[in-house]
Amino acid sequence: MHFASRLLVLCRGDSARIAPWLDERDWRWIATCALTITAGCALYGGVVGLWRAPTQALYTAVKMPLLIFLTCGGNALLNGLLAQVLGAGLSFRQTSVAILMSFTVASLILAALSPVALFLLWNTPPLASATRGVGHSVTLLSDVLFVAYAGVVANRRLLALLSRICATREVARRVFWSWLAGNLFLGAQLSWVLRPFIGSPGLPVQFLRDDPMRGNFYESVFNALRHLFS
Amino acid sequence: MNTPNTPNDPATPTPSITPPSAVPGPPPPLPAGLPADAGIAQVLEALLKHPLQLVMELQRKGSARTAVALALTAFIALAVYGVIIGTFSGGSQLFLAPLKVSLGSVVSVLICLPSLFIFACLAGAEISLRGLVGALCAMMALTALLLVGFAPVAWVFSQSTDSIAVMGTLHLFFWLIALAFGLRLLTTLMSVWRVSDRLHLRVWKFIFVLVCLQMTTALRPIIGTSADVLPREKKFFVAHWVENLFRGARTSSVAD
Repeated sequence: MHFASRLLVLCRGDSARIAPWLDERDWRWIATCALTITAGCALYGGVVGLWRAPTQALYTAVKMPLLIFLTCGGNALLNGLLAQVLGAGLSFRQTSVAILMSFTVASLILAALSPVALFLLWNTPPLASATRGVGHSVTLLSDVLFVAYAGVVANRRLLALLSRICATREVARRVFWSWLAGNLFLGAQLSWVLRPFIGSPGLPVQFLRDDPMRGNFYESVFNALRHLFS
Repeated sequence: MNTPNTPNDPATPTPSITPPSAVPGPPPPLPAGLPADAGIAQVLEALLKHPLQLVMELQRKGSARTAVALALTAFIALAVYGVIIGTFSGGSQLFLAPLKVSLGSVVSVLICLPSLFIFACLAGAEISLRGLVGALCAMMALTALLLVGFAPVAWVFSQSTDSIAVMGTLHLFFWLIALAFGLRLLTTLMSVWRVSDRLHLRVWKFIFVLVCLQMTTALRPIIGTSADVLPREKKFFVAHWVENLFRGARTSSVAD
């Protein structure tokens, strides 16, 4: 089967046909997934960043796929270990391919939603308008919704695949939740480091904020909650 | 609208249009496609009475003629309804409103086409892009034809009220009814394509309706009049509607 046409099978979540791909030694399938993630996330990131400025669009187009690859790479060892410890019987390579395929599905969904996001952007109050706060909020909210939807669907596909290849559903569930927790934990912090993605109206357009490693995602959430309830 | 897929021949097995369960069963028996020399009348008859025949036709290679016929039907029928909308204000709106309604619908479909393709795949549909484009053409054609059916009623009201809010609500009501039939047709077509998970299709329908609603605001004024052909101020449709509903009766409004 042509590697590009495999993407449709991946979207359909046909686990019976997808499972054998984990055993393949052909690098072209991995390259296809990586290219799809790069193209899909870059397209969506470009649209999201466009509200702030064209330069921000370019930056976000670069940073969105980067975020995915850094999360995959950063957790590759941990995920492989967890898969083996929890009894999934997957090698490090198979683990990485399974997670890469899950991100590929998310990227395809984001790419497919890019025209909708662009239309939304076209209707959003621009940065120069008095209601730019509304524009920023709408962009942020829609981004959260689109990314959440893509993430949920992609993870459902991953769980279905794990359920097929693991000995029991219980093992599949354990492996899935451990991967998800690890990827969310690292992904959230990496998204903090790689900020801004949309770009606050009052701050300059930058690839990374000054001193990007300072502070962390969880600390800022905690501070926001404390500020809210104090 | 007639019941979709009513068999002409009692001996012919009735193709099922009931929603598939979570685990798709065997595909329903499908009717033959349209004859090779089918004219526009036969295509439209199939659209109204035997949508599954259209599915078979649109899946077939070389079915571009049918898809084009459906797309043209949709475009022209929407333009006709647009003229009726334009009669409320008259003047330049008589040609601007049909242009905006037709082109706005085309743009809405184009915006949502990639997401429908991916969502259909996510839902497990064994579908080709060609078949999907044809299905969307069929959906829009059916919606547009039903709107033309509503056109005389809309025209009567447009001549008997000065209120943009009333006319806007009425057009929206008619459009929602027509679109509901169009979306139901799409669901029927999807059931043939063995869609196992309808959640994605529902999400897509929601997105499509939102895009269409926003398009009415992005291309305003469609009912009323304005010095500008297109708006200078960006606004979301809910805010625009609320403003117009509270503005009350006016024959002309720059913001409509």
